[in-house]
Amino acid sequence: MAAPDLTAEQAEPEVVDLLLPEVARFMARDVDGAAIDREGLIPPAVREAAGRLGLFGMTIPGAYGGAGLSLGAASRVVAEMARVDRSVAIMVGLHCGLGTRGLVELGNPALKSRWLPRLASGATIASFAATEANAGSDLMAIRTTGRATEHGLRIEGEKSYVTNGGFAGLFTVLARTPGLGGARAHSLVCIPADTPGIVLGREEDKLGIRGSSTVTVTFDGAVVPLDHVLGTPGKGLEHAYEILTWGRTLMSAGCVGTARGALDAARAHVAARRQFGRAVGEFGATRAHVAWMAARTHAMQAMVSSVAELHAAGSSIEIESAMAKVFCSDGAFEVCDRSLQLHGALGFLEETGVARMLRDCRITRIFEGANDVLLVRVGAGVLGGKGTFDVRCVPELSDVAERLEGAERTLRHEARAMAERLGVEAIRHQVALQRLARALIALRAAAAVLERASGESLPTARYTAELLLEEARSWLDRLWWADRDEAAAREMTDRMAAP
Amino acid sequence: MKRGTMRTERTDTRGVTINLLAEICETDVSTIEGAQRLREDLGMDSLQSLELLSCVSEALKIDLDIEEAMGIRTVDDACEFVLSQYQDQRGHGRS
Repeated sequence: MAAPDLTAEQAEPEVVDLLLPEVARFMARDVDGAAIDREGLIPPAVREAAGRLGLFGMTIPGAYGGAGLSLGAASRVVAEMARVDRSVAIMVGLHCGLGTRGLVELGNPALKSRWLPRLASGATIASFAATEANAGSDLMAIRTTGRATEHGLRIEGEKSYVTNGGFAGLFTVLARTPGLGGARAHSLVCIPADTPGIVLGREEDKLGIRGSSTVTVTFDGAVVPLDHVLGTPGKGLEHAYEILTWGRTLMSAGCVGTARGALDAARAHVAARRQFGRAVGEFGATRAHVAWMAARTHAMQAMVSSVAELHAAGSSIEIESAMAKVFCSDGAFEVCDRSLQLHGALGFLEETGVARMLRDCRITRIFEGANDVLLVRVGAGVLGGKGTFDVRCVPELSDVAERLEGAERTLRHEARAMAERLGVEAIRHQVALQRLARALIALRAAAAVLERASGESLPTARYTAELLLEEARSWLDRLWWADRDEAAAREMTDRMAAP
Repeated sequence: MKRGTMRTERTDTRGVTINLLAEICETDVSTIEGAQRLREDLGMDSLQSLELLSCVSEALKIDLDIEEAMGIRTVDDACEFVLSQYQDQRGHGRS
């Protein structure tokens, strides 16, 4: 990172340890989350300060002026930002993830030399444009098209919900490129924002992350040189899926930060608030809420660390990043909801900041792969034997680990039975697939917790893993009723009159 | 099985598979080639590949094993898999 200077002598975790207090100081000093939310704008001064701190360059290689942090290290930084303000965390996280990852991994040397230094300094902010009005989770349905002409690649189409779009200097765009790598080909294309033919829509009026820029971007004959195609021409969808694994992991890390913020706020409130002659935090029901929130946040952190370690080891994180995304986005929302509940009526007021956290994290269950779709995808993976994991832990927790392994065996047995009974038709049984996925995710999170448990964290790890095991068993129980539920839902909705 | 019948079945199952593939990819049948990889060349993720085979299974009224289906990489793989399952199941009197 720019300020603490990554040096060869310092191990990355130590650098991040030095950096996190600086990030916390920056967020406390320069970021007024309530004002950003109220005005729907991150002030340019905040972007500039983030740039001076090196936040925009944290995952860009040192050769181009960045700090070259790993996914795991960047996740810790994004989480620290999100603890205070999610709009700023998403601006930086999107830039470091979806925004620049394609260029870093797939750009040609000339393109990287031209753009990465200014992206690392924050002089240029990056954006990623894939979604369209009729192409959300179904990326194959995109219509934006790039056609090779004598002047370069001419782009026509409209992208929706483009994060950072209002002030981005560079877009990574997923477009159909018939003729580049086949008639069905898609490619990822780097498009500078000042290219003639780009029209930005107005800023969207959103429920949360109101300071984050979200616009429609229209490409009306924007032409870029053919060398602006990232990676292999025609392999755009494949590249996009890969980049999404980074984006989802950084976004999951942001959810960890939001959950920590909501947990801290709840703990402070229940310690100070007195009812019936006692601090609210002394009541058993309150303690149960706080313990659940702490356990869930702990598990979310373990899940993100686990994905980052897999990535660092060179393994594919396609299914694991999807599982983490679902687990962390759902978890953050529930932690915020419980925090708001513990604040009582005060939580419903904006002044506590908890209402904002709840609004801010709602979108994470939708973007970068809607959870409903990811669950079906993970469930289908379970049927094919994917998502397997080892359970390793200290001897003190071996009893929990044994039960976890037993639950995983049950899950695999159920999945095999379903696959044998239905064959590929199983793909149509979405409710069952989602429940299989929910069970697997809970078990995977429990395994991540157990693997990281030692010393003082043992009681927390035990409690957290026990809760997750119960959740997994509950989803496996509900698997029995999945087909009944789906059939009943079909019958009910078919009978409903058209709205 | 007579040679002519085998060729007809091959054509039929291949035709059904490729037509459904073109439909899912929203493209013209003529652009689909046997050597194309479902994921890398056609941009289909694992779910969409299974969706394709589920549609084929419905259209041809045959059962397709999901684990084997997940191992399919190319258009030709998919067509061969469907044909072999079709012949197996029809050959054993299943419909």
